[in-house]
Amino acid sequence: MKGESREAPPLASIAPAILVLAFGVMVPAYLLVRTSFSPGSTTEALPGWTFEQWVKFLGDPYYLYSVFETLVIAAATSLACLLLGAPVGYSIARLPPAKRRWRMILVILPLSLSLVVVVFGWLVLMGRTGLINNILVGLGLVDAPVRLLFNTPIVILVLVQQFLPYMILTVMSVCVQIDPVLEDAAASLRSNRLATIRRVILPLAFPGLAAGATLVFVLSAVAFVTPRMIGGTRVRMLGGLVYDQVLVILNWPFGAALATGLFVIVLGVLGLSNVLLATTTSRRVARHAS
Amino acid sequence: MRRDLSDVVLAGTGRLVRVFVYSTLMLPVVVVAGASVTTTSSLRFPPEGFTLGWYRAAYDSEPFMDSLRTSTLLALFVTVVAMIVGGAVSFAIARHEFRGRKALEALLLSPLVIPAVVLGLGLLQLLAMAGLGRSPIGLVLGHVVTALPYVVRTLVASLALFDRTLEDAAASLRASPFRTLRKVTLPLLAPGLVSAATFAFVASFGNVTISVFLGFTGSVTLPVRIFASIENSYDPILAAVSVLVVIVTLILVVASERLAGSERR
Repeated sequence: MKGESREAPPLASIAPAILVLAFGVMVPAYLLVRTSFSPGSTTEALPGWTFEQWVKFLGDPYYLYSVFETLVIAAATSLACLLLGAPVGYSIARLPPAKRRWRMILVILPLSLSLVVVVFGWLVLMGRTGLINNILVGLGLVDAPVRLLFNTPIVILVLVQQFLPYMILTVMSVCVQIDPVLEDAAASLRSNRLATIRRVILPLAFPGLAAGATLVFVLSAVAFVTPRMIGGTRVRMLGGLVYDQVLVILNWPFGAALATGLFVIVLGVLGLSNVLLATTTSRRVARHAS
Repeated sequence: MRRDLSDVVLAGTGRLVRVFVYSTLMLPVVVVAGASVTTTSSLRFPPEGFTLGWYRAAYDSEPFMDSLRTSTLLALFVTVVAMIVGGAVSFAIARHEFRGRKALEALLLSPLVIPAVVLGLGLLQLLAMAGLGRSPIGLVLGHVVTALPYVVRTLVASLALFDRTLEDAAASLRASPFRTLRKVTLPLLAPGLVSAATFAFVASFGNVTISVFLGFTGSVTLPVRIFASIENSYDPILAAVSVLVVIVTLILVVASERLAGSERR
């Protein structure tokens, strides 16, 4: 096997994919970063290099606050998905395969639905004449319909609903690999459920939990349809600002700077999560070895 | 097993969380479906009365039906391209040990986490530079890139579980490589291929984040049309159109689950 790793790549079968990645990912990413250093404020990237866009981005509290808000919303969404999704992912993993099926469809279906449909459903539910307002008024909790949309908590709620399936599926795929015998062993040693979860399940499922939390963090940090439609102008996540710059204000160089900033955040979070996962795993291995 | 109070509390909390999660997951769809049959002229949930008039209106609406056609054709084309490109590269990744294999796999999965705004704006610029303006090429390329991670992930996973001795057995029985592929490899991979194609189709069919940047004036995909309409008004016709999107997805997901699931047994 060792010798085989020196094998030349099977060019014929990877060439189409390389071509698609080159023109679909790498060249666009390069153009984006390049444009963020271009002067101008139209859809035309003027020649020359300048830090003008970056100074405008990083020198303005409005945009810096948007970075902060993006990170807070992503962190809150990730945490909520962890708390709600991990128990569900674990419970699906412990079901016999026959019972797993319909639950899997319940989890996968929202994932495969178009985002606009999901967001639309929430708009109808939370609107002024929506179900929630009718219930609130009916119960006499409020006198007149209240504004439920256009604030940060509701954006987080919708993002949680939208990304829960990713968390559930990630945790599930790790938990199926944990041998239930280990839990039985803990139970027979008179450990209660809480102790078993803390001492056996959580440590073993840790890579899955970390991967799921990272994925949800990244997905919510880059979201722009949900914050725009559910959050309106009050919630200013970075993705929504890019959308405005590119398609409404038509200032591509500045939009490119904001998008590059978002990209850097995503890469930073992914890198950090990899490093953390590697160190905790190696530390645990070292502890077991000693 | 020792059972104490914490066990009871834990089991109760677990059940509560599961009920909450499963009902929240389906909530938006149920609301949209309910609102689409209301007899009122504005959206209501729960609906008042029952009518299929909004579906009739959606069916008669040229722009919506045009967009439905565009989305379906685009998703079909994207699925075919993603399956050919992704299938070839998945075989290479799963069956060959070559330099840069891990990097290639990471790059293939990267569109899952690269912000759509990055790809969208980048592709817009590439098209502008190439003088292709808002041609459908950008839309196809953007969708293929978004669909590839799902295809590659599914196919690499099913190829990893594939027992290659079956191919060797076919070859030792003097089957030609093509015959082995047709009679042994492809049938055994069928569940993986079906899931991969389904994922590719629904990823493209429902996509709004990339399409919104690359929608060219000639044809607008259905999710983008809905997105643009919601910003103006909440008409029950939008709920009816949304339900059409749900139905297309639902049929595919359940059918593929049946196909792939029955093959496994």
